[in-house]
Amino acid sequence: MSEAEAIRTTVVSLPRRDAADKLRGRTRYTTDRLRPGTLCAVLLRSPVPAGRIVRLDMRPALAMPGVRAVASAADAPGRYGIGIADHPLFAADTVRYTGEPIAALAADTPEQARAALTAVELEIEPLGALLTMQASMAEGARLLHEGWKDYEILAQGGSRWGNVAWEATVLRGDVDAAFARPDVRIVENTFRVGRQSHVPFEPRAAIATWEDGRVHIEASTQVPWTVREVTARVMGLAPSQVRVTVPAVGGAFGLKFDASIEPIAAVLARMTGRAVMIENTRQEEFATCLCRENADIRIRSAIAPDGSIAAREATVLMDCGAYGGEQVFLTTMTAHTLGGNYRLGAVRLTSRAVYTNTPPNGAFRACNGVYCTFALERHTDEICTRLGFDPIAFRRRNVIGDGSLGATGQVFKGDVLGPMLDRMETLSTTGRCSPAEASSALAGRLADGRLYGRARTIGTWFIFVGPSSATVHLNGDGSASLVTSGVEIGSGSTVQGLPQIVAGQLGIAPERVVVKQADTDAAGFDLGVGGGRTTVSLGAASLAACEEVRRKVLEAAGELLQTPVSKLALREGRVEIAGSEGASASLIDVIAHAQATRGPISGSGSFTRPGEAAMAGCARGHFIEALDLPVFAVHEAEIAVDPETGHVEVLAYRVVQDVGRALNPRAIRSQIQGGVVQGLGYAMQEEITLDDLGRIQQNGFETYRVPLAGDVVPVEIDLFEGAPSIGPLGTKGAGEVPILNVGATIACAVANAMGAQVSQLPLTPPRVLGLARGREAAPDLGYVSLGG
Amino acid sequence: MSGRLIVASSIAEARAAREAGAAYIAGGSWVMRAPVRGETVSGDHVALTRVGELSRIDISGDRLTIGAAVTHDAIAGTLAGMPEFGGLAAAAGKSANPAIRRVATLGGNLCTIGFAAADLVPALLALDAEVTFVATNGLQQMPVERFLAQRHALLPDALVTAVHLRRAPRLSGHARLPMRKAGGDYPVAIVSVSLGSGNGERHVRLAVGSVEPTARRWTCLEAALDALSVLSPEAGAEAARAFLGDFAPRNGIEAPGWYRVEVLPVLVRRALALAMPGEESD
Amino acid sequence: MAIVFRLNGEAYRHEGDPMAPLVDVLRRGAGLTGTKAVCREGFCGACMVHVDGVPKLACLMPVGLAGGCAITTIEGLGGAMQRLGERFPDALRQAFIDEDVVQCGMCFPGMVMSLGAWLAEHPRAGRAEIKEAILGNACRCSGYERIVDAVMLCLRRMGG
Repeated sequence: MSEAEAIRTTVVSLPRRDAADKLRGRTRYTTDRLRPGTLCAVLLRSPVPAGRIVRLDMRPALAMPGVRAVASAADAPGRYGIGIADHPLFAADTVRYTGEPIAALAADTPEQARAALTAVELEIEPLGALLTMQASMAEGARLLHEGWKDYEILAQGGSRWGNVAWEATVLRGDVDAAFARPDVRIVENTFRVGRQSHVPFEPRAAIATWEDGRVHIEASTQVPWTVREVTARVMGLAPSQVRVTVPAVGGAFGLKFDASIEPIAAVLARMTGRAVMIENTRQEEFATCLCRENADIRIRSAIAPDGSIAAREATVLMDCGAYGGEQVFLTTMTAHTLGGNYRLGAVRLTSRAVYTNTPPNGAFRACNGVYCTFALERHTDEICTRLGFDPIAFRRRNVIGDGSLGATGQVFKGDVLGPMLDRMETLSTTGRCSPAEASSALAGRLADGRLYGRARTIGTWFIFVGPSSATVHLNGDGSASLVTSGVEIGSGSTVQGLPQIVAGQLGIAPERVVVKQADTDAAGFDLGVGGGRTTVSLGAASLAACEEVRRKVLEAAGELLQTPVSKLALREGRVEIAGSEGASASLIDVIAHAQATRGPISGSGSFTRPGEAAMAGCARGHFIEALDLPVFAVHEAEIAVDPETGHVEVLAYRVVQDVGRALNPRAIRSQIQGGVVQGLGYAMQEEITLDDLGRIQQNGFETYRVPLAGDVVPVEIDLFEGAPSIGPLGTKGAGEVPILNVGATIACAVANAMGAQVSQLPLTPPRVLGLARGREAAPDLGYVSLGG
Repeated sequence: MSGRLIVASSIAEARAAREAGAAYIAGGSWVMRAPVRGETVSGDHVALTRVGELSRIDISGDRLTIGAAVTHDAIAGTLAGMPEFGGLAAAAGKSANPAIRRVATLGGNLCTIGFAAADLVPALLALDAEVTFVATNGLQQMPVERFLAQRHALLPDALVTAVHLRRAPRLSGHARLPMRKAGGDYPVAIVSVSLGSGNGERHVRLAVGSVEPTARRWTCLEAALDALSVLSPEAGAEAARAFLGDFAPRNGIEAPGWYRVEVLPVLVRRALALAMPGEESD
Repeated sequence: MAIVFRLNGEAYRHEGDPMAPLVDVLRRGAGLTGTKAVCREGFCGACMVHVDGVPKLACLMPVGLAGGCAITTIEGLGGAMQRLGERFPDALRQAFIDEDVVQCGMCFPGMVMSLGAWLAEHPRAGRAEIKEAILGNACRCSGYERIVDAVMLCLRRMGG
């Protein structure tokens, strides 16, 4: 089948099959699956941010009415993590953040469980808590992980010392020489960003049972295989003794890209032999959210007289909280984001994941790409302001293109960002809503006295390509069953993109592709859902599986029709003979023939990253040295700032997104609208502050302000197709990247409107008014230094 | 061991339950959020929303009486088209979100001491409202200002039954500032104003809410506005700037104290514009 | 003391804590999990039910106050309970399906419960009014505009 033919049969704005049940309240998410007789588990959480557990006596709790089991570190002794295994399931002798699980208990009812918690005897000897990265990095600071040297290393290459969990560095070219050139002009900026909380409507939840010597966990998760792996590790089981299944997930956005409470349910299920459910309350979810991390950034660039970037160097400190988690991996992404977008003569980047006695952070839709893009694009605008360049022209001049070297020396393919900037120019001029007299200006005043600002930004992210597998069974009724570990978290990829791909390959209607819900007993290994993985990795594995199915079907059909396979095509549930009008066999007949002569038809496929090359020696401590599949985005925002209250209103928002091939254009547009709005929350309202116990102060929907309907505008969208892509049918995942540039775009627009240095997010009204009144102090980042 | 919920059908029944140790619950939007505040809902409760006398709205030629269990929604609906009470109608019609307005009550807004951002309270202050309540020594009535000052001592015993508003030729306006453009969150600062006249003199009543733990009148600004030869929204805002030091603003998770005070002149301007028809509003 | 009310047209009897939030009684007692418990503060709207035809937040209502009321949940809305004034919920659901708006789905029962009643009274609403009507219905996935598109489509279909 030619790619053109495949595209023709695959691309369609297929409606999602799970909408009707969701609209009737029939869909049963994990949190809806509590059956009578299931025990309810609750966690005993540390009340202090740092200390030694002197005494833990669970016996009084065990004696309380309805309590069936208690568990603590002794029952789950293993440690897990990314890069390094530093994370115990329960705090053993040391607590490292307020809210850290110390023990769990299971009771007949939630009320009995919560009552029993108060009976536990817990004594902690406090230690001095290190609540900021500055404190952790200070000379002589206490070690949060005293035994860090003995931790099992899961990935090689990162530097670790003191309270630095992981360091990744990039060095390409002679940076010092470039900065020392007499003809360059140097611009330096610092930035600070806070955390962002995902707020999926369904909290983390899991139901575990112990069946035939194995544990079965039903969980609201993006990563069934990670849950399986971590559960096995901490419980001392073989991974094959753990089965994870995943029903419909009520939102995730990366929060569920790691194991957290699921293994605890498993531990209690093994102890009691009963089904055990654990579900975070909304307050627990806020308090222990695996947030997008807070970070401090220092960046400087040497700009040559011709406007090129002779050198760029930066240090990024990323707060991983009490345990390394996702931030260990994310030190890799600085290179591709803060070090991305533009051609750099020489570059030096240092990214450190730093321990603090605060709740561990994690992955959230485009992760550190969001704040790295904010820092990079604000820095770019500062360069333009100080050195007298037009910000759009400067970007156009320096943006990467075909053959450009990335920060780690990879060679980018295709001219993508350049043409995307052109497309934004068109989209912008036709849609511009600013006053006519200010139509070319980036700043001005509106009739109502508010300040007007406009900005355009560039972003680079990636598709998280990695191991995936798929199996396709052809059924006797002419339908197909697709078995993967794909999870439906809401983006629609498992109910749209994947069945579209399979249907397109097999010549059947997408509605006739059954998509099995994730089950680690049924499907092969998969790295997890998120980061565009479903469409690209699972899609590619599904495509490969279909190739095997097609081969077998056409072979059987060839026999049945007495025709060479090369003349056969699958279309609309039939096998047709090319050029022979009306001569065909029904797929059902072919399948029946095959089943009778060879057996049932199925195929398997696999996919992982081909392994794009970086320049040798450039990158150290990286999990991904070069991007196999970059994704680009150009955003523009028009905003109004009320100079008397600091309120920022979005007047218009535009996106040109690099999608490779749009398999379901309508679904992609929905993802872009949703992702941009989440980005607006990050940019303007979703603030997280910590108190003096390192606790997140925003503990509910009242204090943590997510965007509401009246806060948003319809995003104007242009889907850019045709960029080189290793994805199936040339597609790239589209669900994650819409959020990437939003913080940057809003920040740049506000900076333009106010003529002010925006160096922090979110731009809440008090922060903006503070900037206007000159009372917003720049953050003290003196402790962040450049150089190796 | 769960507590009881007594659904009172009369004031006497409600008081008796209270005396026996039950806690009042009106709309439920405060009590039912106890877990979010780290508290538990425990003990007996007595519900007030089915007490007919508390849910009445009486309009006469010179008075408006609103029962303590009347909801924000009902208040907004009833007062629509009564320009004199525009401020109170706006306060009731814009608070929180539509579903909360259907259950949150006037009494709850007045009696929840911990709720600094209550919308109705400054509007009642600006309209010189009086509060009636039943206590051990019978039915009492006092200006809302005095009730607010004493409610800490009064409330364990008192049951607020109604709020009374005098009708007079005046106009009122209410300006609230949430952090989101859409709203839906509690305002970080509120200004409520009424403009009346008597004996040929201007009488401005202006109350500020959410800036301090309890709403109160901004009397020094009232005097300054009364003294202005010409009152305009802009002149009011300008005058307000001179009296910002009058407040000891509260810091909160949603906004620091300095911000709440800094935005007051804008809110004064907006509230005045809403109370002065024909003026340019924001 | 038992609390008795009508639930989706049938009698329901609750014997436990009268201060239990209605949302928990519906989900665990009656097994009706379509009503979602998300924020438990009244700010997200996912727990919306109809109490005597009026949309109310089930997380803020003690079950003891449901006595004698007629409660309708998402499972009982529209469909078999069609009356003239109840055409909107089904029409709204169809518009959401036709515009392919649903994503994770957790906010949608609340959206349908809030809007189904409101639309009947506001047949000529515009985008701004619709957004105000769903001020108390948060959605984390969709970014709202597609929801408003679908509501406008529903109004066009119902109004002609």
